Amino acid sequence: MSKKYIFNPKQLLLVIIIAAAGLTGCKKFLDINQNPNNPDSADPNLLLPTTQAAVSQIVGNAFQIYGSFWAQYWTQNPTSSQYRSIDQYNPAATAFDRPWLILYRNALINADLIIKSPQTDIDHTKGIAYIMKAYAYQLTTDAFGDVPLKEALQPTLYTSPKFDSQQSVYDSIFKYIDLGLGLVQSGTSVAVGNQDMIFKGNMDSWVAFANTLKLRAYLRIANVDAAKAQAGIEALYATSPTFLNADATITYTTTGGNENPLYNEMASPTLNKVQNIVASSTSVDTMYDNNDLRVEKLYDIFLTDTASEGNRIRSIAQGTYNNTLHTGKQVSPPSPLVGGRANNQASATAPVKLISKAESKFLQAEAAARGWGNGSAPSLYAEGIAASFTALGLTTGQADAYILQPVVAYPEGASLDEQMEAIITQKWYAMNGFQGFEAWTEWRRTGYPNFLVQSAASTQGAGRMPLRMTYPNSEAVSNLNYPGTVSLFTPVWWDTIHD
Amino acid sequence: MKKLLLVSLCILMLCVTQTFAQNRTITGTVTAKEDGLPIPGVSVTVPGTTIGSQTNGDGKFSINVPQNATSLQFSFIGYGTVTSPIGANGVVNATLSSDMRDLAEVVVTANQIRREKRSLGYAATTVQGEDLVKGGNPSALNSLVGRIPGANITTTSNAPGASTRVVFRGGSSINGNNNALIVVDGIPIDNSSVVGGASSLTSIDFGNRGNDIDPDDIENVTALIGPAAAALYGSRASNGALQITTKSGQKGKAQVSFSTSNIFSSILKLPDLQNEYGQGYYTATDDDGNITEYYNDPVENWSWGAPFTGEMQEWGQSIGGVRQMKPYSAQPDNVRNFFKLNNKYNGYGFTQGDVPNKYGYYGSYSLNPYFVLKNFSNNNNVERITGNVNLTYKPASWLNITERIGIDTYSDRRRLIVPKYNYTPADDAGNYALAQTSNGSYQIDQLGVTELVHDLMVTGTHKFNEDFQGSLMLGNNIRQRSTNTNRTATNASTGLVVPGWYNLQNSNGPINIVQDFISRRRLFALYADLNLSYKNMLFLEATARNDWSSTLPINNNSFFYPSVSTSFVFSEVLKPNDWFSYGKIRGSIAQVGQDTDPYQLLTTFSRGTVLANFGSTTFPFGSVAALMASTTLGNPNLKPEQTTSYEIGTEMAFFNNRLNLDLTFYKNISKNQILPIPTPNSTGYSFSVVNAGRVDNKGLQLALRGTVVKTKDFNWDLYGNFTRNISKVVELMPGVDQFVIGGFNGMSIVAAVGKPLGEFYAVTNATDDQGRTIVDSGSGLPVATSEAQYLGSYQPKYIAALGTTVNYKGFTFDVMFDIKQGNKFYSRTKDIMAFVGTSAETGGPRFGQPFPNSVYLDDDGNSVVNSGANAVNYLKQDYFPDLNPGVNIVDGSYVKVRTASLSYQFKKSQFKGLPFNALTVGVFGNNLFIWTAKENKYVDPEINSAGATNEQGFDFTAMPSIRNYGFNVKVNF
Repeated sequence: MSKKYIFNPKQLLLVIIIAAAGLTGCKKFLDINQNPNNPDSADPNLLLPTTQAAVSQIVGNAFQIYGSFWAQYWTQNPTSSQYRSIDQYNPAATAFDRPWLILYRNALINADLIIKSPQTDIDHTKGIAYIMKAYAYQLTTDAFGDVPLKEALQPTLYTSPKFDSQQSVYDSIFKYIDLGLGLVQSGTSVAVGNQDMIFKGNMDSWVAFANTLKLRAYLRIANVDAAKAQAGIEALYATSPTFLNADATITYTTTGGNENPLYNEMASPTLNKVQNIVASSTSVDTMYDNNDLRVEKLYDIFLTDTASEGNRIRSIAQGTYNNTLHTGKQVSPPSPLVGGRANNQASATAPVKLISKAESKFLQAEAAARGWGNGSAPSLYAEGIAASFTALGLTTGQADAYILQPVVAYPEGASLDEQMEAIITQKWYAMNGFQGFEAWTEWRRTGYPNFLVQSAASTQGAGRMPLRMTYPNSEAVSNLNYPGTVSLFTPVWWDTIHD
Repeated sequence: MKKLLLVSLCILMLCVTQTFAQNRTITGTVTAKEDGLPIPGVSVTVPGTTIGSQTNGDGKFSINVPQNATSLQFSFIGYGTVTSPIGANGVVNATLSSDMRDLAEVVVTANQIRREKRSLGYAATTVQGEDLVKGGNPSALNSLVGRIPGANITTTSNAPGASTRVVFRGGSSINGNNNALIVVDGIPIDNSSVVGGASSLTSIDFGNRGNDIDPDDIENVTALIGPAAAALYGSRASNGALQITTKSGQKGKAQVSFSTSNIFSSILKLPDLQNEYGQGYYTATDDDGNITEYYNDPVENWSWGAPFTGEMQEWGQSIGGVRQMKPYSAQPDNVRNFFKLNNKYNGYGFTQGDVPNKYGYYGSYSLNPYFVLKNFSNNNNVERITGNVNLTYKPASWLNITERIGIDTYSDRRRLIVPKYNYTPADDAGNYALAQTSNGSYQIDQLGVTELVHDLMVTGTHKFNEDFQGSLMLGNNIRQRSTNTNRTATNASTGLVVPGWYNLQNSNGPINIVQDFISRRRLFALYADLNLSYKNMLFLEATARNDWSSTLPINNNSFFYPSVSTSFVFSEVLKPNDWFSYGKIRGSIAQVGQDTDPYQLLTTFSRGTVLANFGSTTFPFGSVAALMASTTLGNPNLKPEQTTSYEIGTEMAFFNNRLNLDLTFYKNISKNQILPIPTPNSTGYSFSVVNAGRVDNKGLQLALRGTVVKTKDFNWDLYGNFTRNISKVVELMPGVDQFVIGGFNGMSIVAAVGKPLGEFYAVTNATDDQGRTIVDSGSGLPVATSEAQYLGSYQPKYIAALGTTVNYKGFTFDVMFDIKQGNKFYSRTKDIMAFVGTSAETGGPRFGQPFPNSVYLDDDGNSVVNSGANAVNYLKQDYFPDLNPGVNIVDGSYVKVRTASLSYQFKKSQFKGLPFNALTVGVFGNNLFIWTAKENKYVDPEINSAGATNEQGFDFTAMPSIRNYGFNVKVNF
């Protein structure tokens, strides 16, 4: 190459163009967009705990608070203000954004991803996922009525999932339970082990849980579709089912982030251990009337106080936080045993009960009373009460003494309605402190207990009681198929007694 | 890439072997007429040939010319071209002159290319370094307020280290960054604003990194306002660019200048207070709704109590069964007056020592502010290096090759401390039930950013004939940006074990990994820039750029965008006269593409965490680990964003350049924006990333500068500018008419179709069609609107500045006002002061009056004026503590004295015998005075709790802004 060509502009340009365009490595150079921070796939056994913890977070915190206020175990403390809107029956439009999010985005999507996993040797995990999905959908529909199901959890196909009727949601729930039952009894599956936070991989317990859940779900529709409920329950009993004979719980610890969800909420820097929840007279007064020893386990005692009508638990009437009578007075909070005492770390280890042994017994008692299931209603009723007593550290003897009282004794031979009143009312006592949402839900279905009062703080019309949770604002502003706001006072489909 | 670098190095080395075979050597020196200093880099050519050379650092040149050459031509950007005859001695000295300011003003354009302003087809404003330091503001960006037409600069709190947001022409990105790109000496630098704190409500402003540069180091700043001006920077400059040129050493005698300043600060604006009512609240009313009883509640921090009477009254806590007495009246300083009462409190309001761990005085809910000041802290430490290497080679007079490699790297280490404490009430009468308690927390945030930028530019110039010349630049840009973020804290719920020990080892339970994130992105680009000029009066520039980005789908990651701009100096045709000196019109059309953030394409999984309203269940749970689907659904089909801008403008000068005008009209259209659109949670995800949305901005910007008086001793200049921008969100995506940018307390900042970008949206007081507030006919209290309403935007209707400089002998006085009108902001200060009943609006009669300018609705829904005999009165205490969020939207208009300075430069004769060359003393100030809208009795509307992000106009009881003032002495040796 002679010197004079070195600076030939054409050649120079050519060199540059080759340099630039000839970068065959360019593609490789730019291929760096794999996210190093987060995996893009997940072992289904790692998704299961999130699903279970999410359901437990709902049952143990958000729904526990709303349910326990509306089932009138608890009410707002006069010296604080966090849950006033619950007693006012006036939740903010955004109040249910977070529970809805936890249900769909933490519980259901992860259960669904487990179910859809192409992995073949994880039948037990998939079976648990189906049962958890059924449980979560029942929570969702019992709270909100019609909810997205068929088009839900498929973001690329349906960006605005349609809402399905509660009737069809219940049909899917039964289907999911059956699919789950089949899979957890499969012979070929790797063990789930401790990734199952509820039963540590014990599939017999999952069969019992699924059967009990199925019984609960069929009984829920007993008023609105008795034939279907009866058929379903009779079919269930035809399989000689096992039912839960122990609480289905997640056990919490004092480790930060692993505490009982209600305590964890109260102890958060925002709420800063302020005691917002205190005893409601609706519960405390009737329990004292019945000489029910559980009352002093469920609420903290003020030993120094004897002024409160002789009771060692000082409660206030539902929603009377504004009453000047209470100004500056201390009211009993729920005890650490139920996770409700904000400044006592013992609350951290309170369990969350997805289904309690007591509930299992009361469900069987109802099936028996209706003649749809086997067993003796009076003895199942007594077993339910006894299970509740022993769960609180009381003895079966104390339970027996309690049942002997005429006001508690099972109304043998009485009308179904009277038997239902006894079963559901005692179930209501038994769920105090642990299953607020289920107690409120059963009150909506049956009207028992029949001594709930309207909250004094209600800002709504006379006689109105909350009959559902309102749809979250987040869904209203993002879902094109949002069916419109439904009032807090509109009964859900299976609620036939509040029309 | 290595291959490319190698090739470019080869070119440079080959070029070094160049030799010329010419006949005669001419030498000489080129100096500037103004200061007599040599000018490096002057182009020296032989007319009619391609032979050329240029001056070295000393202004000296040497050129081999043919025997028949008779003259040399000297040209340098910013100076008039001079042709000198070649003398017999072979030495040619030339003097270049730059006295025609507007004709030859030089602007540093994109990629650090110096060009004459007359040739530009777009608006560009240059601010000189001496203007930046006039007000003594330690922030270079704050100092730009009022000096750039078309810019909206928001200074947050004006405190050292606080954020500054610089947005040109309204901002167009709904979700992305809207800040102008900051370029220092040709290298784009990082301008992140990472706000600390868990949410908007607890945000901590750690400043933006663009403020790291010291204004004293700046030679000048050029604002390339529109995409056309910044097109060569590519994607990142779709918001325009701020080109900062730093000072560098000058040839000549060494000079040392020493400057010392003392700066004082004070709060610019505090809220107005009521001084009529004391603590407590009403407890009873009569049948007419008049308050009959008050409760003097020592617990609540409420000032809804009885009117001040001045009588002696029990007060505060009961300690040892005794409560203090003091007159019931407004105190100039409650704290000091209280502690004068000789009770057991120490200076911090805590009884430590004999009665440890007690709180009092400040009520149940407020921590003692002195305690907060002493024990809570948020520190950060930024270590940053930026630098660049420029290699320029001119193998021939018509060819220039420049290689520039720059690096910008920093680490920002933050320590966030919340103390652990447990204080019980000092009061022994049972008034206070609550303990003040915290588990404490300690968090370390480490943020690191490293950017590498490479540009290779090859420029060829060609003179087709005397009138017509052109240049073509071809370039290659490679950019890599790596970030890392690591936030680690003590356990979220159980905090610290040992109080006062701030170390992660002191975590009570597992350490909380808040965030651990690294990212890397790369961009490869080729670009071309063609410039043509005709007779130095008609100019055309065309650019083209193609980017390949790593953040887009690998098979669809290339995008191309062009620009064209033109300018016509019509005064060359019209012939300037006594009143008309200079005129130019210009126009441009430009497109800029923009990629997205890394890792937007795939859906991922994250650690199992179930977040409740306030608490959370987090994994690992004992020994159980968990994952969960992420919040956001990725999109494997993303396309680049696209901004198109149109602009026309004119620059004119009158009366021998004593009056200058620069006017621009523009329109920007931003399409295909990449947004995480909220999806219904029932899909299983909260967001999905989509291409959607279009935002238009149109407006005008005007700058004027005039010299009113010009004599030997007295000079009076006036300058000002005006910007009007109309922003409009044109579309988002089908079925979505609103996108939330930020929000808090029931107030959202949204991008809503048909509204400006950044509109407030919330429930407010309902009004009738005549704008009167509708009240409830029973309680007399305003009724809330049934749905959220649009309540105005944080974008101002117009921004203006007006300044003047007066020189008289050695004195220089300079003052500049800046004005923003028509913007709104959300004031949480107003809200909380209304809640506690301390703001001025809660004063006056608190009962027995109807709500001002209100109506109530009769049975038929008609308005009935709420006054006179029919009036339904309301109780202020029932209204103010629970204001609808929309009521806290306040007019953010203001006029400020942004900078003022007065200085005196001593004459040499005045300090004869001292070793000084120059001595200047002065006083200065910035952010000195403010006039706000009448309804704004609260804060400086510029303060913002969310730093330089898109969440603007948000005062969440933010720190008040400050004024700074001081004096300085400057000496040159």
